[in-house]
Amino acid sequence: MKSPAAPAFTACTVSWVVLLALTTISFELGAGAPGRALTAAVLALTLIKGHLVVSHFMGLRRVRLRWRIAMAAYLAAVGGVIALAYSIT
Amino acid sequence: MNAEASVIRTQPLPGDFAIWIFIFAELTVFGVLFAAYAFARSAHADLFNAAQLGLNRVYGLANTLILVTSSYFVVRATQSIKAGRSTACGHWLVGALGLGGCFLAVKLAEFHQDLAQGISLSANLFDMFYLSLTFFHFMHVVMGMAILAVVAHKAYAGRYSVADHTGVETGASYWHMVDLVWIILFALVYVIH
Repeated sequence: MKSPAAPAFTACTVSWVVLLALTTISFELGAGAPGRALTAAVLALTLIKGHLVVSHFMGLRRVRLRWRIAMAAYLAAVGGVIALAYSIT
Repeated sequence: MNAEASVIRTQPLPGDFAIWIFIFAELTVFGVLFAAYAFARSAHADLFNAAQLGLNRVYGLANTLILVTSSYFVVRATQSIKAGRSTACGHWLVGALGLGGCFLAVKLAEFHQDLAQGISLSANLFDMFYLSLTFFHFMHVVMGMAILAVVAHKAYAGRYSVADHTGVETGASYWHMVDLVWIILFALVYVIH
């Protein structure tokens, strides 16, 4: 019989491995030529990483909708402002 | 299945609610600093691009991998106490603390190299942002480690249980915030150019 914690353990461990992989991919992308494509790709990977930390590490996937919206809005706002600033360079 | 999902999505925030007020305040401060960096960079793109080349990006990569892994260890600590395993909880927290120490050591080595290269608060706008952002975050890591050390001590002392582990979740939430902020900082300062 599986313990109740097993699914969470799996999701968190997978998230950790994905976070390590996305971090390494971002680092490798950073060695490339500068430009909007690089900025967009790295920002997208960063927002995915942020979502994984918020949902699976902080555990917000289990909490009330308003808190998940608040954190998603924060990540979207930070990502959006950075994208805006880089787009007007 | 759907009923089960809806039930688990109605839980309150993990840990003490007060820490979440602090977390959202901290995230707001860092968000403003990130925006300031991004718009300053938009006005001085050539300077920022040139100055970024002076950073050793491997330090940033190493510290991101270290901090993400320490955050995972804290997740395992929380899972352990929820399963009633106080000693395992303490062990995972000590592991996370060790990685926090590695983060600080790597960052100090990077700061040492930066100073040797002439990077300083007054050198240029990028260096000012880089040093301010990373040192501000550095101090959050120190504070997070102090919190985790207290939680680990209490875990070993058997002060937490399956029914009462709010303190573990409170410390864990703060540590994950420190990790989350670094993930954005890493992309902004070390990668995007």
